[in-house]
Formats: sequence, C-alpha cells, structure tokens
Amino acid sequence: MSSVDSSTDGGRWLDAHYDPVAGLYTFSSCVDLADLSGDGESRLVVGDLGSGSSGMKLKVYRGTALMSESTLLDLPAGLVAFFMDLHEPRIPAVAVASGPCIYVYKNLRPYFKFTLPSLEVNTLEQDVWQQVREGQIDPLTLKEMLEGIRKKADVPLSVRSLRFLSLEPDDMDEFVQLHKQQPIRRQTVITCIGTLKKSTADEDGVSCLVIGTESSDVFILDPEAFIILSKMRLPAAPTMMDVTGQFDVEFRITVACRNGNIYILRRESDKPKYCIELSSHPVGLVRVGKNVTVGCTDESLQGFTQKGKRLWKTVLAAPITTMAAMDLPTRGFQAVLVGLANCEVQLYRDKNLLSTIKTPDVVTSICFGRYGREDGTLIMTTKGGGLMVKILKRTATFDDRDSAPGPPLAQSVRLNVPKKTKLYVDQTLRERENGLAMHRAFQMDLSRLRLAAAKAYVKALESSLTPMSSSLTEPLKMNAVVQGLGPSFKLTLNVQNTAACRPVMNLAISFLYDESLYRMRNSYLRIPLLVPGLIYPFETFVECTSDKGISDIIKVFILHEGKSCPLLTAHINMPVSEGLMLN
Amino acid sequence: MGLFDKLAAWLGLKKEVNVLCLGLDNSGKTTIINRLKPSNAQVQDIVPTIGFSIEKFKTSSLSFTVFDMSGQGRYRNLWEHYYKEGQAIIFVIDSADKLRMVVAKEELDTLLNHPDIKHRRIPILFFANKMDVRDALSSVKVSQLLCLENIKDKPWHICATDALKGEGLQEGVDWLQDQIKTMRT
Ligand SMILES: Nc1nc2c(ncn2[C@@H]2O[C@H](COP(=O)(O)OP(=O)(O)OP(=O)(O)O)[C@@H](O)[C@H]2O)c(=O)[nH]1
Ligand SMILES: [Mg+2]
Repeated sequence: MSSVDSSTDGGRWLDAHYDPVAGLYTFSSCVDLADLSGDGESRLVVGDLGSGSSGMKLKVYRGTALMSESTLLDLPAGLVAFFMDLHEPRIPAVAVASGPCIYVYKNLRPYFKFTLPSLEVNTLEQDVWQQVREGQIDPLTLKEMLEGIRKKADVPLSVRSLRFLSLEPDDMDEFVQLHKQQPIRRQTVITCIGTLKKSTADEDGVSCLVIGTESSDVFILDPEAFIILSKMRLPAAPTMMDVTGQFDVEFRITVACRNGNIYILRRESDKPKYCIELSSHPVGLVRVGKNVTVGCTDESLQGFTQKGKRLWKTVLAAPITTMAAMDLPTRGFQAVLVGLANCEVQLYRDKNLLSTIKTPDVVTSICFGRYGREDGTLIMTTKGGGLMVKILKRTATFDDRDSAPGPPLAQSVRLNVPKKTKLYVDQTLRERENGLAMHRAFQMDLSRLRLAAAKAYVKALESSLTPMSSSLTEPLKMNAVVQGLGPSFKLTLNVQNTAACRPVMNLAISFLYDESLYRMRNSYLRIPLLVPGLIYPFETFVECTSDKGISDIIKVFILHEGKSCPLLTAHINMPVSEGLMLN
Repeated sequence: MGLFDKLAAWLGLKKEVNVLCLGLDNSGKTTIINRLKPSNAQVQDIVPTIGFSIEKFKTSSLSFTVFDMSGQGRYRNLWEHYYKEGQAIIFVIDSADKLRMVVAKEELDTLLNHPDIKHRRIPILFFANKMDVRDALSSVKVSQLLCLENIKDKPWHICATDALKGEGLQEGVDWLQDQIKTMRT
C-alpha cells in the first residue's frame, strides 16, 4: 500500500479499540507500556489523575480490558516502568512520582516509597519559631518578623510560615498553638521523571530513575538502594525531560524548564552544558535519534541538534495538547506524534507532515509502542476520558516527501539554452566594465523623468487643468460623457459639489474648441446653485463640421463669475465623426 | 466415495492434500497441528514458529501436508509464496485477543484478495481457538468481527476450539475432508 495524502491517515491504522467513556484522565507523562507479567504481552500502565482532587488511580490495561486498579494518594506527576534489578523472570517495576515521593510498585503491589530529601530551612525563621515555642513573642510580632525575613532572605520561607502569613489575625493564635511544637521543614515536589540505563544499553537493563523537582534540581537515583547518585542544578524548575545514554558511560538529559528554556545536562558536569532559548514556552519535548523536537505554545514545532542548534521550525494548525515519540525499531522508523487542540494527531518526521489522524475528541495523552503482542500500537486518551487504540498496518509506509513549500520539481530540469553568441559575450563584457557608468546614467535619467513628471503635475495643479477642484471654497468634481456617432454629438457634463455642506454659486461652464472643426449651440452655460453631494448633468450639442474624418480635443472650463482663472479643466477627446463619412 | 478412492483407501494409499495453516502469532496454529498428529508423533512443548514448518497428518481418507506458517509480523510476508501450492486453508484466530481481531481481519482480507487465492474455490476452515479462556469471544462473534458472511465464492466453516484439550478440532477436520472430496469428484 502506498501512502495517499498527508492530510489523512491514508488507511494506515487499524482501529483496534475505542472506549469513549473509559474514565481515563491523564497526560503522556503518566502513561507507559510494559510487560508486567513477563508473558511477552505488554500492558498499559496509566497514572489516572481522576478529577484532579480525588479518584487518582494506578490503572493497568490488558488488551481492551482494565486488568487492575489501585488508589494513588496524591496526583501523579509522572509514571515510568523500569527494571530495578536483575532478577528472573525479567519483570519491570512501576514508579509513580507524586508530591515529594516516588512510589515503586512490583508485581503491581506497593514495594517501596522514596521521599526527596527536605530542603535547607532558613535559620532566622527557625530562631523566630523557637522564640514562639518559648513563649517570648506573640503572633503579631511573629508575623512582623517573618515578613521581614521573607523580604530579604535568600532561603525561602517554609510552607508553614507562608500559610501563617496569609491568615487573618483572629486565626493566628490557633494556628500557632497547633503547629509551634513541630519542627519546621521545607519540602519540594517532583515535576517530572525519566529513566536512565545504569551500565548497559540492553532493552531489559537495570535503569536509574531521573527526577526533576520544583526546587530546580535534577536527581539520579540508584535503582536498587534508592540513594542519590548524582545531583544537578538548573536555572529554573524543570517541566519535561528526555534522558538518553547510560549512567556509568555517558548520558545526556534534555530538560525543558519553566523559564521557557531548554537545558542539556551531561555526565561530566552538574550544570547545564547547553541552553536553548525559545521564543515561547515548550509544551512537548521528544528526542528523535540525536535531535530533539520541541513543541511550543506559539503553535510551532522546532527541531534542535543535541548541542542546541536550531535545525528547522514549522507552524501548526492548532495549539499542541501533547507530544510523543513514534519509534519502530523493527522498521527503522522514527517520528513524532503531535496531538492538537483541533482533534487531530499529526505525525511529523523532522518538519515534514507524514499523516494526520482525526480523533473524535481532543487527545491529551499519546503513547506509542508494543502493546499486547503488537509492536506498532498507538494509544491515546482523550479530554473526555476516552481510550483509543490504533494498530499500524503491517504494510503501511510513510512517504518521506518534503511537504514544505520549496522550489518546484520542474526547476531542476535542465533547459536547452542556446550557445552564447559573440554579440552576447561582447555586451556582457561591456556591461561588466562600464557597470558603474551605466548605473549612473540610468539613475540620472530616472531622476530627470521624475522631475519632469513632478513639474507637469504642479503645472496642472496650478492652472486647474484637472477635472477635480480641491479649492476650499469650491470643491468640485466633473466628468464628461460624449454620446452619438456624429456629425452631431451630445456632450453631458456631470458636475458635483463635493463639499460637506456648503453650496456653491455663481459658476459657469465655458468651452474652448477649434471652430473650423466643431460648432456648438452655446459655448457658455451658467450653472445654478450646486447643492453638496448631488450630481448635476449639463447637456449641450456639438456638431462636427469637417468631413475629413479627423477629431480634436474640446476643453471644458468651470469658471467662477468675475474670475479669469478656471476652477477646473477637462479635456474631452472627441470621437471621429462616423456619420459624416457614411454620407 | 468413488471407486478409486475406495480402492486407494483399501490399499492404504491416500490422496495428498496441501494445507496452509495461517493466523496471527500466538493464535495456536502449531498447537492445533500438533494435536492432529498421531499421538506418538506429538511434541510436548511448543515454541513460536520461526519462518514455517512442514507437518503431516492423516484422516480416514486423506493425507495432509500442512505448512505451519509463523504468524509473527515479520514473517507474514512469507505466506503468499505458498498460496499457489495450497489446496485448502486453515485460518486460526485467538478468540481471546480482542484487541488484535482487526489485525486478523486485515490479514484475512489481504489473503482473500491475493491473486493466487481470489478466484479459486479453495475451502477455508476457521478455528476460533482458545475458547477455554475466560471472556473469549464466541465463534459467532468472531465470524461477525471478521465479516465471514462476505465470503461468497469459497466454502468456509468456523469451529470454536480448545487446542490444549483438542476440543472442536475433529469437527473442523471432518468438514475439510468432505470439502476436498466433493471438490475432487
Ligand atoms: N488457553 C489456550 N491456550 C492455547 C490454546 N491453543 C494454543 N494455546 C497457547 O497459545 C500459545 C501459542 O501457541 P502456538 O501454537 O505456538 O501459536 P502459533 O499460532 O503457532 O504461533 P506462531 O508460531 O508464533 O505463529 C501457546 O502457549 C499455547 O499453549 C487454546 O486453545 N487455549
Ligand atoms: Mg507456530
């Protein structure tokens, strides 16, 4: 089957399953595929956000059916399946990041909980609470002192102090009594999670967990002991990340941050090695081979090298809702799936759109990989909680056609250009040698032409030669129509007063013509009062007296009584009198 | 049964029939073929087939040579090379794999539209296998999902089977034997 059109999916996908009311509310970061039973059949593991405040669940699907679900205590921020040990059979564990903790599930049972180390507490803050505990200061003084600390401290206040500062004076006492005995703690939360192979690149190699936190740190955790192997600092809080390589050899963590930048961390340094400054905030980050594809809030998709050099940018039809990689190693195919707010999922290889899948609802999460026994399975969940599974056809192909507008194909076809003649060569030589002089001569002529045009225009304006008068007292417009075949012609002059409200009086029309050619019944007409806006037609008859088949110009002047300078002038090109010639 | 067939059967000579056994990976093709072989020739553990394997079994009057094809995606393009030789098709479906029913249908449609199959009155026997699995689809449902009613120009038949216990297989093979015999005489 050959591909049809990039604006449709071209029948490349089989609709395996669609449940519009599956009740799955999640994002791409909380979805993974893994063979959780070691039977060669991959399961879908989802961290369901529920309503956002309740109903958070860890759900596992097998084929079209929900296989198990267990309650999560907090909103999941990310979910990954990973191998944490070398035990046989090779069954991956599932790590769910929520709040400051990572919950690790083995065989779908809770196995371990890791909590991030708490952050440094402001010593001044600690002293103040100590004084409160000893009864030395009252809540109002506490408030004052805390506010002072908040203003100048480089270590931020704890959540408890911030809560206290937001209270009404009436509630302060109770709050202080309730909390003063507990030590102050400052805790951060996890914003994103990824995995990093420890020492081998094998599919089922043991992986470290990589976590990004609200406190702008990136931690790498040992999979067995859950100790922090490495800590790296970022200039801002991370929101998404991509990890590649092996911890013991060489790795690269690409992190999108809340300041709109993307940082690239390497093994040898605890600070970012490269920085990509985006013009708008990143909403999706996918690695394809060595490059990364970033989706931004300005409805664009951009490609960068691993050193942060921008390769391309393409504009999308709608805002991006989610992004995921489409990786089919058996066919050597890699691309990026982009979910859009207009109910489409588009497939891009670099900047080229390969195909578009229309969906019945806006897609909020995408996951592509081996599901069940099928390698090319696309799993999507929708805004309304639906679950959709599509399977790539075995015979499907994607054209690597460059869809971006560029030079048409015909441009590369060689034309049969005739040989260069001696004249052509001489001319070219002359042009090359005297280029400067020729350019000057041209510029000079051009200036002269412009000057002549300007002079003629000024003259026309000064002598009111135009059929428009823009004088402030008598703004007039006129056009003339000649009717008839000759020798008699009817001349109609339409005069309009273009002033807003002021009428014009005491005008007259006069004609100037060659009296040997034309005869006019009356070459002088008086114009009555002109009401603004109305068009007044004035008719007169012209007789052509020549039978030579020649014609001339008749000039029309509109004059103000008592003034010799016309208000406006029109030249009427009289047609040749045909009537006379027929005689 | 014609006179020749009777004679042949009496002599122990049986007519040779080439059968293609097709279906997605893990549907149970090898398990089914294994079940149909004489009990002393059956193997104990069955592994996913690589490429294809040739098996033989006999019924009362026919001698079957079965091309047990691998159903894995990367081997499915081998199937069509054997269409010409095949005189009958056994198509096995995993009734418990609802997700991949569309894939089974896609492969069946491709098979039915292949030039080597399209215009032949070749009998097709469908085994809706793994009916023992809880919440497996019924054979009626399977034939609905595969749109079998649209096959108008070929004799076909569907049986629900459990290859592990061997249930339903005999009914299918009997039907196939009848079909082949009516085709010949
Ligand atoms: N429950 C159940 N399991 C079955 C049945 N038939 C086969 N199986 C199991 O399904 C699995 C796959 O069987 P195979 O016979 O290897 O499948 P196949 O179609 O030959 O697969 P490929 O050779 O890869 O194309 C094995 O573990 C069988 O034990 C059945 O009727 N019921
Ligand atoms: Mg097999």
